Amino acid sequence: MPVEILVIPLIVALACALPIGALARPLAVLGGLIVAADAAAGLWLGYGVSSPMDPAIGSILGADGFSGAMLVLTGVLFATGAAASTGVRSPRGYFALWSLLQVTVSGVFLARDLVLFFIFWEAMLVPLALLMWLWGGADRRAATFRFVLYTMTGSALFLIGIIALGVGAGTFSIPALAGYRLSEGSQIAFAVLFLAAFAVKLPLFPFHGWLPRAYAAAPLPVALVLSGIVAKTAVYGIARICVPLFPLGMSDLAPGLVALAAVGTLYGALLATRQCDTRGLIAFSSLSHLNLIGLAAVLGTVEAARAVIVASVSHGLVVAALFLLAGMLASRTGSSAFATGGLAARAPVLAMFTTFAIVAAIGVPGTSGFAGEFLVLASAYVRFPGAGLVATLVVIVAAVYGVRFLRATFFGAGAARGDDLSRRERAILIPLFVLILVVGLAPWTLTDSVRLVTAQTAELHR
Amino acid sequence: MTTADAAAIAPVAALAFGACLIVAIDLLGKLGSRASASLGAIVALGAAVIAVAVGPGAPGFGAMVARDGVAVFFVALIGTVTAAVLVLGAGYVTRDDLPPGEVVALLLFSAAGAALMASANDLLILFLGLELLSLPLYVLAGLHRARIHGDEGALTYFLLGASASAVLLYGTALLYAATAQTTFTGLGRSTHNSLYLAGLALVLGGLAFKAALVPFHTWAPDAYESARTPVTAQMAVVAKVAAFAALLRVIAATSYGEAALDWQVSLAALAAMTIVIADLSALGQRRVKRLLAYSSVSHAGYVAIALAAAGAAAGPTIAFYLAVYAALTIGAFGVLTLLPNDDPTLDDLAGLARRRPVLVGALGVFLFGLTGVPPTAGFIAKLYVFEAAARGQLLWLVALGVLASVVSAAYYLRVLLACFAPPRLDAIAPGRARVGTAVVVVAAVVVLAVGLLPGPLLDAARTVRF
Repeated sequence: MPVEILVIPLIVALACALPIGALARPLAVLGGLIVAADAAAGLWLGYGVSSPMDPAIGSILGADGFSGAMLVLTGVLFATGAAASTGVRSPRGYFALWSLLQVTVSGVFLARDLVLFFIFWEAMLVPLALLMWLWGGADRRAATFRFVLYTMTGSALFLIGIIALGVGAGTFSIPALAGYRLSEGSQIAFAVLFLAAFAVKLPLFPFHGWLPRAYAAAPLPVALVLSGIVAKTAVYGIARICVPLFPLGMSDLAPGLVALAAVGTLYGALLATRQCDTRGLIAFSSLSHLNLIGLAAVLGTVEAARAVIVASVSHGLVVAALFLLAGMLASRTGSSAFATGGLAARAPVLAMFTTFAIVAAIGVPGTSGFAGEFLVLASAYVRFPGAGLVATLVVIVAAVYGVRFLRATFFGAGAARGDDLSRRERAILIPLFVLILVVGLAPWTLTDSVRLVTAQTAELHR
Repeated sequence: MTTADAAAIAPVAALAFGACLIVAIDLLGKLGSRASASLGAIVALGAAVIAVAVGPGAPGFGAMVARDGVAVFFVALIGTVTAAVLVLGAGYVTRDDLPPGEVVALLLFSAAGAALMASANDLLILFLGLELLSLPLYVLAGLHRARIHGDEGALTYFLLGASASAVLLYGTALLYAATAQTTFTGLGRSTHNSLYLAGLALVLGGLAFKAALVPFHTWAPDAYESARTPVTAQMAVVAKVAAFAALLRVIAATSYGEAALDWQVSLAALAAMTIVIADLSALGQRRVKRLLAYSSVSHAGYVAIALAAAGAAAGPTIAFYLAVYAALTIGAFGVLTLLPNDDPTLDDLAGLARRRPVLVGALGVFLFGLTGVPPTAGFIAKLYVFEAAARGQLLWLVALGVLASVVSAAYYLRVLLACFAPPRLDAIAPGRARVGTAVVVVAAVVVLAVGLLPGPLLDAARTVRF
């Protein structure tokens, strides 16, 4: 079953070589939706059992509950991002790279071999960097360069770790390596090498130097997938590679990592309160949320693994909605700076939708944001009450930046311009909101299907 | 001459006779540049086919010329690369008004020398091959007399190259004095004495010069920059492949038996110096050919890592690496041959992405491949090298090599990004060279195909053992 998840977007990418012009965008949307449906079907029908789905190449590709959930999110976000990519220059090149990015991101979630994982991991950089460089905003050169060098440095250390581990153990297969027991000292060393790549891509505080510029300079749909799903590959790497392969090392490193993540959570949220630009606001609020997810990812318990899945899916959906709304606002006011206010009177539906997205981002009960945040904080308290407490403060700060943004944009007596949301814009947003509510009201739809695999992860951890 | 002799020398002879034939035809009736280049490419490919078709077997000329897996693989590679160089060079011959027959013949002679080096099982044959490789390249480097700068680069190349040949010859003489024979098999049976070790060190120095390993690399940027781009490609690929094939044989001959030498320390030191110095030097380059020159020096360092780690057993690893490097380098220089300016700076590339998107797409594949980014073959090649190094307990070289790859990303990316800058008004639009573009595209497809399915090339490279 996993193979078609790679093949479908690849076909879309190849089709863009033909002179299809305006068809490229619907094709990319369709590719994303098919993958999402396929992965969702797999999730409910059988990914729950962690076994290779395709015997032919099962040893190197395979999906389980965790990757299944991430693949659904991949499909949804790539479809959403493609739908929002209207009026791009050279659409064939854009959507070809877009679909290749989808192939590489899905590949990361499917790889069951460290070398293959690294191939997809590193190949992700090529379409991402080209999309940022060729279709990005004003600061794109410096932003792309910084992003590439940051992530490549992390990946280089990761590669050193992979080679040393694989040659030492005589295999690169992740399930086989999980049974290979290293001494505590080498577990710490390998965990640090592997985490170098994941911490940069997440980005864990203080490795976030590339993030504000990249989020601001990337084209909006690319920023959407960068934050919504590319960052989740790092979460996935921590939870599904570092923790099972180096349980003792991760357990020793956990206090430091949790402290960094807790600081990063609060730091990102505090910086978000000072932004006067929607892109900057989303960038720092994402930094905050991603560090919170990272906090749970390093814990390695069943509850934490469950929390990571719910919070990752939730953040992906919410940040997608936020980026889309930021784009819709920018297209009305002409810039991504906070509008002068008063837009609620002119565009009530836009105001309502934005309020909903912000409410979900803050983590109000009923939305997926609450489910994710609650599970993460609850699992953090068990082992690190202090860090959990610090991270909990983020709830207050998030309310501050969220409300500040809403007030500045929609309320008060401003000279706002622009129309309300068009039918197409609503059609893109509403499915995301439905998913946010489903995950928020019934988070067990996600955690149930992945119960088996999280239990297994936890067992490996012991 | 026995059948074994004929079989061992067949590809070299094909190249040399082909070269003579082309000169003769050119004398009788004028051959056009395209016709002579096509003829030369057929001869070069023919030599590669002969090498594969004849296959490994008994050595010839009293075991002086080997016909093992090493010879077959590297001769086939040399023939293929020379054919690509000839096709890419056809346009230059017309543009510079050079005598087409002679240029093609000289390139074929240099390929014959390289093929002889790759099959040499004797120090004298090795020297013969080295000279046959180098002399035509000296001539080709200085062929365009209109350029003062070209003469300077050619002179540097000639003087340093001749010194390196002298060093190799002196080493051969010392080894003969120490062991009373010149065959590689004889080397392994010798005892260690200062004459023997000094001789080997000099041979290593001579070969390191041709492979452009630091500190024997100083000629490379000047020579690469001043020579015409197809000639540069021949220097960068064919000469390097031949030098590493010979180095592999010397190492294999001396690392077994009771008088086994440990090459690890000296080669690891060379590799580390090469990678660090080449990458740091490349960072500051604005001229694309100089930048690629340092890049090719740095890649020699990666080959040396594999040699240091695995010694004679590194054959498959370095064969795979050199084949991938050949495709990447021929491709990158191939793109340059299709530009109007022979020695472009980064600024001259501005606007290329809009004018020739196919070329820039291919160049992107080559540059990502040279960096070692998946899914190109460059990644797989580097991965094998690092794996060999990890097995050989050289983890510090793995770390150095991987981190140097990140540094190299900075200069390779700059080249690619330069293509996307807005075009300058005074820029000359590049011509539409269909054949050259086809060569470049084929190289890019090969790089991607090997990156996705490395199996077939890996199987071929596995034959490179003794």
